[in-house]
Order: sequence, then structure tokens, then C-alpha cells
Amino acid sequence: MSEPLSKIPNGLRYYSGQEARLRRMIEETAMSVFDGWSYEEVITPTLDYYSLFERGMGPSEAHHAFRFTDTDGRLLALRPDVTSGIARVTATLLANRPRPLRLCYAAPVFRQQGRSTIEWRRESTQIGCELVGRNSEAAGIEVLAIAAEVLRRLDLDRGYIITLNDVEVFNGVAEGLGFEPEVRDHLRQLVDQRNVADLEDFLSSHVSTEDARAFSQLVRLSGRLETLDKARRVITNARSSAALDRLESLWGIIESLRISDHFEIDLGDVSRLDYYTGLTFKIYVEGAGARVGSGGRYDNLTSNFGKWEPAVGFVLDLDALAGLLLSRNDGALLTAQPERKAQSVVNDDHSALFGEAIERRARGERVVIGSSEVAP
Amino acid sequence: MTQLTMAIAKGRLQQGTLELLANTGLCDTRDALSSRRLAIEDESGRFRFIFVKPMDVPVYVAHGIADCGVVGRDVLMESEADLLQPLTLGIGRCRIVVAAPVNRPGDGSGILRVATKYPHIAAAYFGARGQPVEVIELSGSVELAPVLGLADCIVDLVETGRTLRDNGLSIVDVIAESTGRLVVNRASYQLKAKALGTLIAALEATAGKGDLQSD
Repeated sequence: MSEPLSKIPNGLRYYSGQEARLRRMIEETAMSVFDGWSYEEVITPTLDYYSLFERGMGPSEAHHAFRFTDTDGRLLALRPDVTSGIARVTATLLANRPRPLRLCYAAPVFRQQGRSTIEWRRESTQIGCELVGRNSEAAGIEVLAIAAEVLRRLDLDRGYIITLNDVEVFNGVAEGLGFEPEVRDHLRQLVDQRNVADLEDFLSSHVSTEDARAFSQLVRLSGRLETLDKARRVITNARSSAALDRLESLWGIIESLRISDHFEIDLGDVSRLDYYTGLTFKIYVEGAGARVGSGGRYDNLTSNFGKWEPAVGFVLDLDALAGLLLSRNDGALLTAQPERKAQSVVNDDHSALFGEAIERRARGERVVIGSSEVAP
Repeated sequence: MTQLTMAIAKGRLQQGTLELLANTGLCDTRDALSSRRLAIEDESGRFRFIFVKPMDVPVYVAHGIADCGVVGRDVLMESEADLLQPLTLGIGRCRIVVAAPVNRPGDGSGILRVATKYPHIAAAYFGARGQPVEVIELSGSVELAPVLGLADCIVDLVETGRTLRDNGLSIVDVIAESTGRLVVNRASYQLKAKALGTLIAALEATAGKGDLQSD
């Protein structure tokens, strides 16, 4: 049986009219902010070797990629992320450029989606930036400031929260327990789900009660500066403590910038430990049921491509942002740039018609070629 | 004032959840207990309750239509939705089990036919044991399948075990214990942190009084 032509594959769609304009506008807004902070646009190939993404994202994430075989039999993939491609280019083609590198992108990514996922889209657009080769607190603050500016320019500054964490807090506690990697990942999952009941069950059979307490506290600790003090009472190992110090220092700067209302510390955010190496953050906006962006430090990524370098960056989900602004409908972005009215140009004489149209275009007017012909 | 929308699984957990909520003193659930409306606001205006099929609770919460919800662990294991699970409520205790006819032990080789409402849990359980299975998804009266020869065994939720016994089935293995859980949307957890924090603390204190065990 043949499929009707009208059918579109799952998770893919068309955009038109106001929605398409809005998406373009969001992209341009973000890219102009990136440009304002001297980030240079990079366009990565849409198709690349699957092994690139396996190295760049880790096998479990790369697994979502649509895969094909190249003419020589090698496995290709439609890019499931942009960062992998950027990490490779910084370690290879741009290896000799002076550091730091400031790079940004806006590009569609493609992922196969499992069942029962709220990320039903199989094509979505990522907007992001990466700061490569600067190993300092300033690098983290720089990208956070950029993220905050993008949200402000999108008129979302009334209701967004950026949660901050440092994965080394978890790593320090986990290291003390000395679990195998699979067990650690199970723990990570329970912390990430704030699943206190299962976590306590699990820990009570494996470790001393003191360690167990440190862990189950980790799950619940979120809030502002006081969170760090509470954490210090139960978490005392050197590795975690250094991370808590880093967060405190970062928080101090955020407060001095008077943007701390938009920030929270959330020590239970441990979603991707195989990838991030220090600071991590997630961006939530009122009205969106899922996060609209995330980012952090991923110092080990470029070493997968032969050159170790510190790196920090974030990605925003264009589809989530567009959906949010459309549903609000009072989006200042849309009202600020309504569709321009077009001047109708009508003339039976085609050379006169287009002569006038071209002239009007040269003056910057918006034209629409009309017709006095009777429709067939 | 922040209003929280809470999705509550209809059926087994519904009454227990509403009673638990009433006992926290945070809200008045008498209307919700007596009414048959599917969406109802409590008098204080702090809560809106929506009553949906258990399998739909994770869907409403994951999409952020509901900020939080109450649903059994069995449903969470089956749905794999990306939700926070900050609390076990100790209500609606039951087990997810593998059960088979008493007088028909499998020979341990060949493919096993498994009838279940939980195809994902069943596949994961037998997959971890290297046992090839044919999962037959049913929507109810699963105990009938082995009796009539549709399947060799079942994976199902058991509360007292009476239905199993009455149909000549016995428990082969317990996959997991399950009780009602509070689930929370990731974005709401951050954006409505205060209201949810109050709810979690109140429920924890109340649920802890009634039932100290966790699953």
C-alpha cells in the first residue's frame, strides 16, 4: 500500500508565516548577541562520520543519530549535535589560531526519538556558542552573561531561571565511595531524578550512613547561596569542596552583576557527567514545560580529537523558544516587527511593470507584483 | 500566588492521594473526593487537580501541563518519562511480578510468550536474563492469557494475589515493589520551587507518619 503524499514523517514539520518569521528573528537576535561578544560563526557539515559524534557526544547520545553508509562503506550520520564538529575543527583546522577561540552557530540537528518522549522533534535547531582555550572563571561568566543577554533581548527576562552546578561536587562524593562506573551511573540517575527513596535504599545496602547522608542531601540541595553552606555541612571531601568554592565565587560575581534573581544553585543537576567537567547550567523559562537550553564546561572534549583544551559553551533550543514566544502571543518581538505592508505594482506592460518594481525595491519598499490579467 | 496543577492517577491511587493531601492541611480535597469532574480547583486556589489514566500521568507532567503528579512506580518504570521523583508516598502498595500457571512449569528453553500490560518492563526483565520472549501486549484481564493458552506467563501488578490464585497462577519472581510516587516536572521544579518545596515537605511529613517504609 502506498503512503499518501500528504503524510510527513514523524517528528518533522513545515514552518510558515508568522512562525517562520519568528524563528528567523530569534536566530538573528541570538547571532547578533554572539557577534556583539566577538563570537565568529562556524558552519559545520550536515553529514559527517558517525565516529565523530561517537567521540564528541559519547556513544549513548550519538546512538540517536540517523545513520547511512558512505560509498566506501564508512558510517555517516546526519549531525545530532553541532558541538562535536566544532570540537574537531578547533583541534585540527583551527589548531594554530591564537586562543581563545570564540565560535557560534545556529543549525538544525537530527535525532531519532524513542517513544514517550517530550522531545518528539527529529529535526530541531540549536543555537549556541563555545569559548575554547580559556581556563578561568571568567570564561564561565562570559557565556552565562551571553545567555542572559539573549534571553533579555528575546523579552523573556521576566521569567527565566538558570540553574548552576559543578559536576565535581557529585564526582567528589562518588569517588569516595569507589563504585564501578555502571553503579556510579545508576547513582547519578537517581540523583538526577531526585529519587531520594531509591537512593537511600540503594546506599543503605552499600555504604556507611554518613556517606549515604551526603548523597541524599545532594539530591535536595537547591536554592541560593545558603545551599552551599548546607552542602559544606555534609560534604567534606577535597574534590567536592573545591567545586563548592568555585560555585561560591561564581555566585558572588553574579550577585555583583545584579542578575542573581535569575540564578539558582542546584547540586542535584547531574544529567551528563560523561561530558561535562566542571560548571554546568540549565535554562528554564516560565511557560515552557522543558528546559530551553543548557551548557557548561567540557574540558575533555577536544582531547578526543588530539588536543586537550578547556572549553565552555551553551546551546539554546530554537524550537522551545519559538513555541514559547508564539504561545505568549504578546511577544514584543512580533509586535515590534510586524509584517511590512507591501505596495502592489500593477501594469500590463511587463517591462514597465518590472521597471517600476525594481525602482521601488531600490528605495527599500516592499512590493508585490500584482496582475490585471484574468485568472485562467 | 502560584497555583500548582497536579495530575492524579484515577483508580487505585486516587482516594489515597486525596486523603493524603487533605491530611497535609495544604488543601481541601473534599470536593475532589466526591465530584466526578476531571479537573477541579481546591478552595484555596493553590491547587488544581486533574484526574487522568495512570499511564497518562507521566505524559501530562513531562509536558508541563501538570507541574506534578501522583502515580505508581510501575507506571514510571513502564513509561521511562524524564521526570523528577522526589517522594515515595507509601500508598497503593503492590508488586510487579512474573506469574505462571501452577502446574505448567516451562522447560527453560525456547521462546517464552509473555502477556502483559507492561511490555517495556517485561522486555527489560527478560532481556537482562538473556531469555528470548514474545511480548503480547494486552490492555486488561491479563491473568486469562495463560489459562487460555495465549501466553506461557504474565507480567502484571499484584496487590493481594487473589486474582492470580483464582486463575491458577502463582508468582515466579517479583520484579519490583511499587507504591505511589510524587513526580515533578523538571521546569516546574525550578520555576515554582517555593510552592513545590512546601508541597514536598508537607507530603513527606504526612506520608512518613502513616507509613515509614519505602519501596
